[in-house]
Amino acid sequence: MTDDLKDGCTFSRGVHPPESKHLTEDRPIEPGPAVGELSILLSQHIGAPCQAAVMKGDLVEAGQRIGECQAFVCAPAHAPVAGKVKELALKPHPVLGRCQAITIEAQDPTPPSLPSFDLPADFDPARYKPDEICEAVRDAGLVGMGGAGFPTSVKIQPDAKPPKHTLLVNGCECEPYITCDYRIMLEWTDQVLAGIRLAQRACGASKVFIGIEDNKPKAIEAMSAAIARAGSTGDIRVVPLQTKYPQGGERQLINAVLGRTVPTGGIPPMIGVVVINVATAAAIADAVLYNRPLTHRVVTVTGEAIARPGNYYVPIGTPVEALIEFCGGVTEKSAKVVMGGPMMGLAIADLTTPITKTGGAVTVLTRHQIGQAKFERRQTACIRCGRCLEVCPENLNPTRIAHAVKSNLLDVAESHFIGACIECGCCSYVCPANIELTGYIKTGKIFLARQRKKMPA
Amino acid sequence: MLKDITVSFAPHISQPLSTRRVMIDVAVGLLPAMAVAGIYFRIHALLLIGTCVIWCAATEWVCNQIRRKPNSLGDFSAVVTGIILALSLPPGLSLWAAAIGSVVSIVVGKMAFGGLGANVFNPAMVGRAFLTASFGVMMTTWTVPASIDAGMPDLSSDDTVDTRTQATPLAWSKTAIKDKNEAKTYSSRLLFSTVTGEVAGSLGETSAIAILLGGAYLLWRKTIGFHIPAAVLGSAFAAAAIAYLVNADAYVQPFFHLTSGALLFGAFFIATDPVTAPLTRRGMWLFGIGVGTVTMVIRILGEYPEGMMFAVLLMNAVTPLIDRLCKRIPAGGRPHA
Repeated sequence: MTDDLKDGCTFSRGVHPPESKHLTEDRPIEPGPAVGELSILLSQHIGAPCQAAVMKGDLVEAGQRIGECQAFVCAPAHAPVAGKVKELALKPHPVLGRCQAITIEAQDPTPPSLPSFDLPADFDPARYKPDEICEAVRDAGLVGMGGAGFPTSVKIQPDAKPPKHTLLVNGCECEPYITCDYRIMLEWTDQVLAGIRLAQRACGASKVFIGIEDNKPKAIEAMSAAIARAGSTGDIRVVPLQTKYPQGGERQLINAVLGRTVPTGGIPPMIGVVVINVATAAAIADAVLYNRPLTHRVVTVTGEAIARPGNYYVPIGTPVEALIEFCGGVTEKSAKVVMGGPMMGLAIADLTTPITKTGGAVTVLTRHQIGQAKFERRQTACIRCGRCLEVCPENLNPTRIAHAVKSNLLDVAESHFIGACIECGCCSYVCPANIELTGYIKTGKIFLARQRKKMPA
Repeated sequence: MLKDITVSFAPHISQPLSTRRVMIDVAVGLLPAMAVAGIYFRIHALLLIGTCVIWCAATEWVCNQIRRKPNSLGDFSAVVTGIILALSLPPGLSLWAAAIGSVVSIVVGKMAFGGLGANVFNPAMVGRAFLTASFGVMMTTWTVPASIDAGMPDLSSDDTVDTRTQATPLAWSKTAIKDKNEAKTYSSRLLFSTVTGEVAGSLGETSAIAILLGGAYLLWRKTIGFHIPAAVLGSAFAAAAIAYLVNADAYVQPFFHLTSGALLFGAFFIATDPVTAPLTRRGMWLFGIGVGTVTMVIRILGEYPEGMMFAVLLMNAVTPLIDRLCKRIPAGGRPHA
């Protein structure tokens, strides 16, 4: 490593939850189940939901655009398989509860085949115009696949103000259990690198850093080797980062790699930085080189309660139920099904919830693990031990904010900067009194948003 | 397939740590001090500790019954309060007085505020302050450790009572201040005794070695941070050093102040009580400096030989203000509204 970078960069504070990645890290990406019915949610991203472009009974082709968008911050949706539109109805959504969705009955339910990707020997990102790349990414309906789901085309658009100087690629995967990004880095290395170079070309960043936690030495090696193979890419560097949660949080990643801080309430572009996930980078390459829309993604189905955990390539819209069944079902009668990892993932009540563009994992936790989690144990009084302050990556005072929300003192919560919370869950994770600090803070944010919009409760 | 699906807020896993574990850690940290108390003050030390623990626990149980609240003995905080109170008492104190102190600790110091986590003042110090105010003589009668019969010269040692008593090192240094007599010869001889604990004083405060051992355990377990002990000891040392430099004849040397009296015990076990100390690191430094300085001001200028208890109670009272002063600013700076 050179001058401004050192090994084991990190942000300050944070926690070290058990990694639990051994369940799936050595399982190559395999095709997922054949599914008869897919539900494509019309809001899988941050921004305006898309509008259905098809009617009930329409026949759709694989890859056909079925959700249109007019707004700037939006991403279209595409049909992953050929089939017939069965209905337009409300379907369970991991975040919103319920959301309009297009249900497609597959013409011929076969397991998805793994996509082929051959990097043209003469691949040179300079031959693509930045506008072209951005356009292709927008048409493919790309959103940040790491979790937040911000439309990628908006992130990488050329000539943005202020100009982008750095592109950060997030290969941290700091959430326990999840391994989909890790497998993508190992198996689709060239595709990821091609996507990174295209994104760099589009946003005009002069420097590129790929941040990978040091518990994934193979991924660090693979990406470094790919960079060496590609040659003439001295401006792309792999940065090994300390294994710590939430290293992959975009604000933490920027701080760890660049030593810069994104202003509270701000977003990375404000300081000239673009952050994209490795899975998104792979999708960019697919979109630009092959005009493939984002219709499939790699999902890690994992957890101690799953019979056969693994990394699967599945069409977006696959119900969680079908995935769990495909993986041999659940080994216990009762468990908790989480879309995402155990630190930030959302527990779902309805197993027909479809996979979204942002959902990289389905984690099924055992009864025993649930029993060890906060809400099952008796909550005791806060003894002001300050552990939550010690771990908060955003340097907040979680106990003060949470207790203000609990007492319905939203102004106090605001005066302690409730809005700056990234909801990483570190405070809840360490609390010896079993207080669901993150839960209270999230609730407080919802109350405040309602108050601002003057919405009824 | 799945019959019973649980839904809750993230995170879905958590560290295996509980309030009970934290409290048990504190009790374990207090073991060396308790052991030394047992060695020097024999059976009466253990009786005092037992009395305080039992009365604290019983009082908490009764309070919860009266308030119709669930039993909270499981968190072991009452036990810790009992141990700390016992270790801060003179070794010869009657058991009935210790029981009264325990009841006051829990009722006035803790349950009146709403129980664990809600109290403003350190419960054990509330109980001790009550005893000091009510039974002044008993609370300043210091039994000689059983291992020595006459360690100190004639200063207030009295053979007429059934157990031998003597002045604490601090009481002696107080007299030295008043008389402006030679402090040095005596304190350097005594310094060694205050390290081993073979000296008159409260049950748990005499042995610097035992306290440091327990304190190191707490630091290693991350039950306490180093900030408060460092601030207390650092500021106390600085204040003592200033006094020593001003008049080395009247004031004992600064190391003597560190090892004698309740300073070490207080720095590691009393001032670090998380409930009554500030939350932020900056606040902890301020709090610790306050405790150390006030203690030394009382020791050097005040009427009492020892001031740890008052210093802790005083700083407990300003803890909410310190918390307000040392508000945490987000990593990204204040948001532009």
